[in-house]
Amino acid sequence: MTRVALVTGSAGGMGQAITRRLTSLGMLVAGLDRAESPLCELSYSVDVTSAEEVARAVNDIESKLGAVDVLVTTAGHYESTPLTDVTDEAALRMLRVHVGGLVSCAQAVLPGMLSRASGTIVAITSELAVGGGDRDSHYAMAKGAIIGVVRSLAAEVAVSGIRVNAVAPGPTNTPLLPADSPWRAREYLDTLPTRALAEPQDVAVCVEYLVSGATFTIGEVLNPNSGAVI
Amino acid sequence: MTFSQNLLSGQVALVTGATGGIGLAHTAAFRDAGAEVYAHARQTSASLDALTIQTGAHGVTRDLATPEECRALVRDVVAQAGRLDILVANHATMSMSPLAEADPAEWWRVVDTNLLGNYALIQEAVRVMREQGTGGRIVVIVSEWGVIGWPDATAYAASKAGLISLVKCLGRELAPEGILVNAIAPGVIDTPQLNVDAEAAGVSLPEMHAIYAQDIPLGRIGSPKEIAQTAVFLAHPELTAMAGQIVQVNGGSTRSRV
Repeated sequence: MTRVALVTGSAGGMGQAITRRLTSLGMLVAGLDRAESPLCELSYSVDVTSAEEVARAVNDIESKLGAVDVLVTTAGHYESTPLTDVTDEAALRMLRVHVGGLVSCAQAVLPGMLSRASGTIVAITSELAVGGGDRDSHYAMAKGAIIGVVRSLAAEVAVSGIRVNAVAPGPTNTPLLPADSPWRAREYLDTLPTRALAEPQDVAVCVEYLVSGATFTIGEVLNPNSGAVI
Repeated sequence: MTFSQNLLSGQVALVTGATGGIGLAHTAAFRDAGAEVYAHARQTSASLDALTIQTGAHGVTRDLATPEECRALVRDVVAQAGRLDILVANHATMSMSPLAEADPAEWWRVVDTNLLGNYALIQEAVRVMREQGTGGRIVVIVSEWGVIGWPDATAYAASKAGLISLVKCLGRELAPEGILVNAIAPGVIDTPQLNVDAEAAGVSLPEMHAIYAQDIPLGRIGSPKEIAQTAVFLAHPELTAMAGQIVQVNGGSTRSRV
């Protein structure tokens, strides 16, 4: 039977690489993004901070493609701000998008996964959640919370045959990273053991492993971060 | 699952301890992914013959009790294959005793085989890979016990924790030249070692499996294949940003940053 995957942030560079990879594995991929997801079988214009919108989209996907067996949450945004300048609005939005996006999607697909005793969830977090970073407190707070959710949910649903894991990429070569980003500067790249940004492909290979071969791997965080945090 | 059949075609891999429980699975998985595999065992045996016939791997024998023998093994493979692209540093020995009663010779035999031996093996492999100038992949099999410790396992845990630190340093040291070093920390895996554990605990093998499974969120112990698939993942040509990382494959029994 064809597996159905739901990818959030599916219009972005990472989301597209993941969509392409899952499609190449023979899966039907539905995408949730505020923008159009050109590579997806079904594309939903959804704000993942709205649990209602997410639930409605998942209902529609399951009626059209079948039960969602794979969830990959990529949706997110990055902001660099000194802690004292972080507004409550910015902090709240960070949490709602990253943590809320994961939780609302997981809550929408889990009842089905639990009833079938099958399914897997991969959350994309960040190297900054693992190692922290200068002026990254509110971003790292949200991405770190994802790891807490992943490890707890993994322990919670493993007994039901559902695997939950995370990928924590370092700075990745996607359009999200502007040409003048300090992470593209030679001085920064020279501090990385691999001397290069991660590629969207790195994240896609990690997702491929986690949704297929990683059958004894749960609550784990994979770190394709160019060696930035070891 | 399997990654594609020609994922690693044209690449030469060495798997040490290939006739052990997990080593057999590494050999099969790397053959399935299209690599030319050199399967190491201490000595010729029916099980090494069966493995090479079954998988099409080449058998190579050395008793890896000393650093010299570890280095010689790498040279043996390069003499036969002409190159080395992937090292799966898998061989290990293990014995348990309370620290206060440990026989120093036995304690050091475990540490020297697992840590000193793999250091020498990796060092020689790096020399070969560096000379080839085409990068390389080194996957070191460590252990959950090297992460969390275990009673009566000081020698084994020390050796595996030492390997974790070695992998972290080499991840940093060698990534600039495209040699990516990572590790896998398996939890409880269904290998012949569990017979020893069952005997020590005075229970049957299925009972031993059930006892271990109680502490694993996934509700079962792992299979060697699940470790081997992780090793192939770490050798994936498109995975270029993983260096110095420890991937934990344990069914959720330990969930931590290593």
